[in-house]
Amino acid sequence: MSAAIWAITAFLFSAGLAAVVLRRQLLAMLLGVELMIAGVNVALVHYAGRYADAEALAAVAVVIAVAAAEAVVGLSLILKVLRSGRGLDAGDLAELRG
Amino acid sequence: MTAAQVPLSAWLLFAAPIAALLLGFFVFRPLKPEWTHLPILLSCAVVTGASLALTARVLAGGSFDLNLYRWAAAGRWAIDFGLRVDGPGTAVLSMVAVVGSLIHVYAASYMKGDPGFSRFFLVFHLFFLAMIGLLTANNFVQLYLFWELVGVASYLLVGFWFHKESARKAALKAFLTNRVGDFGFLLALLLILTSFKVGHFQLVYFLVRNSTTMPEFLPLIGVLLIWAACAKSAQFPLYFWLPDAMEGPTPTSALMHAATMVTAGVFLLIRAWPLIAAVPALPPLVAAIGAFTAVFAAVLAATKKDLKRILAYSTVSHLGLMMLALGLGQVAVAVLHLIIHGFFKAALFLCAGNVGHAIHQPTANVDDVGGWGPSMRMTQACFVLAALSLAGIWPFGGFFSKDAILDAALARGGAFALAGALVSVLSAFYIFRMMFLTFHGARPEQKGLGAHPHEAGPEFVAPIVLLSLGAALAGLLKSRVETLVVLGWQQVPFVVPIIGGQLRILRADLPGVSVLPEFSATVFAIGTGLAALGAGAAYYATMMDASWDWRWRASSPRLSNVFESDFGWKIVVDRLVAGVAGFARFVGQVFDKAWWDGAIEGAGTAAGGAGGILSGFSRGRLNDALWWMTAGTALLLAARGLR
Repeated sequence: MSAAIWAITAFLFSAGLAAVVLRRQLLAMLLGVELMIAGVNVALVHYAGRYADAEALAAVAVVIAVAAAEAVVGLSLILKVLRSGRGLDAGDLAELRG
Repeated sequence: MTAAQVPLSAWLLFAAPIAALLLGFFVFRPLKPEWTHLPILLSCAVVTGASLALTARVLAGGSFDLNLYRWAAAGRWAIDFGLRVDGPGTAVLSMVAVVGSLIHVYAASYMKGDPGFSRFFLVFHLFFLAMIGLLTANNFVQLYLFWELVGVASYLLVGFWFHKESARKAALKAFLTNRVGDFGFLLALLLILTSFKVGHFQLVYFLVRNSTTMPEFLPLIGVLLIWAACAKSAQFPLYFWLPDAMEGPTPTSALMHAATMVTAGVFLLIRAWPLIAAVPALPPLVAAIGAFTAVFAAVLAATKKDLKRILAYSTVSHLGLMMLALGLGQVAVAVLHLIIHGFFKAALFLCAGNVGHAIHQPTANVDDVGGWGPSMRMTQACFVLAALSLAGIWPFGGFFSKDAILDAALARGGAFALAGALVSVLSAFYIFRMMFLTFHGARPEQKGLGAHPHEAGPEFVAPIVLLSLGAALAGLLKSRVETLVVLGWQQVPFVVPIIGGQLRILRADLPGVSVLPEFSATVFAIGTGLAALGAGAAYYATMMDASWDWRWRASSPRLSNVFESDFGWKIVVDRLVAGVAGFARFVGQVFDKAWWDGAIEGAGTAAGGAGGILSGFSRGRLNDALWWMTAGTALLLAARGLR
């Protein structure tokens, strides 16, 4: 049972990480972040059930709320970048080049 | 004795010069600079009166030594400021006060109209004050502070005409040479504080006298003190700064040579004599240095052409005689010669000043003068008196001290006797040579009366008359000085506030202080004969064979060079100085600029370069940043997992 849960978590987290690190499309990167959060939440919910721990469930609720807020902020930032006319490719946003 | 019982005269010794200096600096210098000398001359009069009163007190058995102020204390160590009024101190002090005051009076007319008149008088009086402090210090630390103050003041005065390059160079030379000696004094001071835990003269005397084992550093302390005295009192090998110090105004030379500067070295040795005499090998060393310097400088004085330079070498020679007397254990004789020398040397320098003044130059050469006697009767008369005193002709002052030194040297025999005899001949020779060349003749090689010499005004002559009378009559002081040195030194009650509360009175019997030698007819005959021989030779070489001085110079330029370079010692010193300067240049330009700065700049360049390379990793990409973040987190987790 746990192994299946860990597999799902690992898959979701890795896919999310890969999307964040490898993709340049800003929306795809934001999606990757959401995937990583979801992956961790799966594991948290499983163990909360297993150990009957309400605190873990509360943490899940908080994470969902934060993820929603993060999506709002992230999307609005992306929208701002889009409106500034510089497209959605993270490779073009290189003002911090050393 | 407490501070309240210190006589008024002792306070005035410091209060008058300090008040005069403050008044001169803050009031007269800004408002009326040409009046700066007025408070200072008043202070001179007060100091002279006070020091004579103190001398009378000491003669009556009223010596004292007292701590007045604890400057610094740590654990069992303490540095005090105090007042020591004892025999040798007051004997020298009264000479310094009288001679110094007369030179002040002379300087007031000599320096009139100089743009730096006010500055001159302030520094001149500071010099005087420093010497008073040096003579009344009651411990080595205090002595050292005033010793350095004397050095600073002499530097400022020698370089007084700083627009002249030669004056700047001479000032630097005097100062740096003195630093070389001061370093020896500093080391000796630290060793004294380490070995004895105290710096007070009386305590150190007591400890040296009463300790069963000799402190292991005592010989080293003695050698370092002698080294310091060699620099200050212009003894071989560190004498060479003194003849160059002629670059200052003439009153400075007179004060330096007679009263305030060069006597400090001899005085240091007198103060430290119980220490030095406790090591059997050191008095002969002092005597050897003195004897060698006395002969060496006397020969050179006989060959110089600049009048002030002749007198400068003569000072070096006479300081050598004082060291010789000290080294032979004749402390009272050394003090007596120091005092009498102060009178005749000050008079001679001021006469040379009048001669230079006549042709409106700071100094004169033997080529510039000749046959000036008739136009400068008073100066000539004073010069003759002082010269007779210097040459040691009875009954003039110099006879009494030189006779005693010769007596001691002959009694010791060997090389010391030979040196004493040679100096007697040579000193008569050089001073009479100078006298004949200046005031008699006019040889064809000299400008003579063509220079239109004229006697200086009475304000120039009066101090010299008094000084030369002092030089002539100073022999009368002989027994007084003996009493002062022998009794005034030993009967100093010293109240020691030992940490912990109780007071103790210490009396230290002093070794090496002997009474003046008995008068001996043989020594009298020998001394007078030698002086007459020197004077006769001078008469022959300047009057009968008038051009001798110019002839030998022209006929053997090599010999002339030998004398000009002080038997090559000046060349050795120049090489040494060039070596040190080269090393300094290496440190400043190669080591500091190329190596040290290179290392520092290199560190900056390396950091910049590393930054340039590393900045290649920062392309400003979001994904890169996330990569590094991921990698860093993974590393941290891995490290945690490993633990």
